[in-house]
Amino acid sequence: MNSIITVISNILAIYRRELQSYFASPLAYGIATIFWLLAGFLLVVLVFSPDGILAQSAFADQAGLQTAPLDIPYEFTQIYLGLLGSLSMFVLPALSMGLYTEERKQGTLELLATSPITNWVVALGKLLGVVTFFITMVLPLLILESLIVNASDPPFDLKFLFLGHCGLILMAAGILSLGMFISSLTESTVLAAILTFALVLVLFVIEGVASGLQGPLGEAISHLSLLKHYNNFTQGVLDISGLILFLSYVVLGLFLTAQSIEAFRFQRN
Amino acid sequence: MIEVEQLSKAYGSTVAISDVSFKAEPGEILGFLGPNGAGKTTTMRILAGYLPATSGTARIANHEVHSNSMAVRQNIGYLPETPPLYPDMTVEAFLYFVARIKGLPIGDRNQQVASAMERCNLSEKKTVLIRKLSKGFRQRVGIAQAIVHDPPVIILDEPTVGLDPKQIIDVRNLIKSLAGQHTIILSTHILPEVSMTCDRITIINQGRIVATDTPENLTARLAGQLGYAIEIAGDPEQAKTVLNQLEQVESIKSLPDEGLAENHHRFQVMAATEQDPGSDIAQAIVNANLGLYALARNRASLEDVFINLTTEEAAIAIDKDADIEDSGNGKKVSNAEVPTITEDSDSIDNSGNVEDSPDEAKAPTEETSISPALETSTEPPTTDSPSDSDE
Repeated sequence: MNSIITVISNILAIYRRELQSYFASPLAYGIATIFWLLAGFLLVVLVFSPDGILAQSAFADQAGLQTAPLDIPYEFTQIYLGLLGSLSMFVLPALSMGLYTEERKQGTLELLATSPITNWVVALGKLLGVVTFFITMVLPLLILESLIVNASDPPFDLKFLFLGHCGLILMAAGILSLGMFISSLTESTVLAAILTFALVLVLFVIEGVASGLQGPLGEAISHLSLLKHYNNFTQGVLDISGLILFLSYVVLGLFLTAQSIEAFRFQRN
Repeated sequence: MIEVEQLSKAYGSTVAISDVSFKAEPGEILGFLGPNGAGKTTTMRILAGYLPATSGTARIANHEVHSNSMAVRQNIGYLPETPPLYPDMTVEAFLYFVARIKGLPIGDRNQQVASAMERCNLSEKKTVLIRKLSKGFRQRVGIAQAIVHDPPVIILDEPTVGLDPKQIIDVRNLIKSLAGQHTIILSTHILPEVSMTCDRITIINQGRIVATDTPENLTARLAGQLGYAIEIAGDPEQAKTVLNQLEQVESIKSLPDEGLAENHHRFQVMAATEQDPGSDIAQAIVNANLGLYALARNRASLEDVFINLTTEEAAIAIDKDADIEDSGNGKKVSNAEVPTITEDSDSIDNSGNVEDSPDEAKAPTEETSISPALETSTEPPTTDSPSDSDE
């Protein structure tokens, strides 16, 4: 019992420090600003541009092409969250790149590694910190979305929107966890960012690769795809296998990070 | 409290430390003295549980540092070579963070953080971001994080690096004030530091323990032997012959004559152990009708002990000759400056003629290397310079 309290308080200590460093870091604000700008821009383009959802639906009405009624809120949720997912692909490596590279550069890894605190606790605290920061990046977008939701007729099914955002955050947690592992491998922040981006790219497009492969192997690989499972979430499907996949990425990232820090201590010279 | 037995660490084929053994009793300050690259930091890291040893054991508070790492971590405060600081935190926030991860109970944190800041003279800087602090203050924050949780064992790797003289005195006083309730091991390559702060000194060189003793004893091991630097006018060969006839004189060496008046010569005379030949030397030279212009007694300081114990003879010769070459002195005569405490507070240049070739130089053992610094022979520089890891 006592040890559980110790573990939780240690996780909280790391978590708080991590958050502090994000909110004190100009780089984090820069990343958030770009994210907000692009996300807002995408939203406006998606809804109001000449090729946007509204224009298309109006065009369809005028032309009398009412083959199937178009559920605009549904279309919006799906497309917009899909865009946010792609945008996150670029932003997340930038958030995770410094998680361990900075510790190594500052020598603070030596402090953490000689404190009565396990590698797991450090990794989990850090991951919670960076996921929290990502959530605070997504929150302001909800204000924008709420404008659309309010003006919408037919009304939005908020369940879809909620599930979609949950999917986004889960996917982000998986990517950040793997990114954390990559950042624990190197002292170079830039290298960590590039490698993480490459990995994310692979995980996004892996479905396309898998479809070229026949048989169980292709099917197995296609299940690793982030995009496929994320799309299920944005379509309002509570995708249990996707949930498990994202959580597996999280656990895998944590595990590998803890191991790599342990190994790093053993081979260091 | 700290027991290290036959600790060895190799990085690949490079041996960082080998067969290191020492002990620190509770409440003691143990100084870990050695030149750069001697293996001080490696030893500290192994003690702190940051690195595993290749072989041997190290125990802190009866816990093996590697197999029982968590128990050890609870008992130590550790200041690494570079202070582990988060630049974007304030001093106070950082110390609270350290207090938390060191498992300090909530109730004690305020008091302990305040006390650590006070002891390290950081109170005025507590709301300043660490990245805005000067190097000296950062070092002090580093010390504060090592003592904030009041650990029984404190490991300090070069704690006074980057501090100004006044801060160095403050830190030394702080370290002394911690002794008693804490066992402290501190590494340094600065001699006065250990002689002033430490109860015992362990000298390490090239990964091996060369000597462990109190500062007084280490000095005493050499203080038995006295030396005299003399300046005479007249025939140097005659002077040597005369002095050699004295019983109390063990050896005589010529020193370089440059800067002296015409026909003046300098010698370094080493007395036999426990003998003081001062008046006899004077008498002998005067009797031989040689002019006696200077006679200064010099004895080994701790610094000499250090140089003797930690420096391979060839290495010291090459280093010192290289220095002299840099200063533009093209003379072939090798000239070694060995710092000594002289009774007339003048430092004396000593030199030796070429006696030992570097090939014969061997890793220092207690027998061979506790010869006085003045005996150190020199050799003109060779092309290959010695590296710290050379065996």
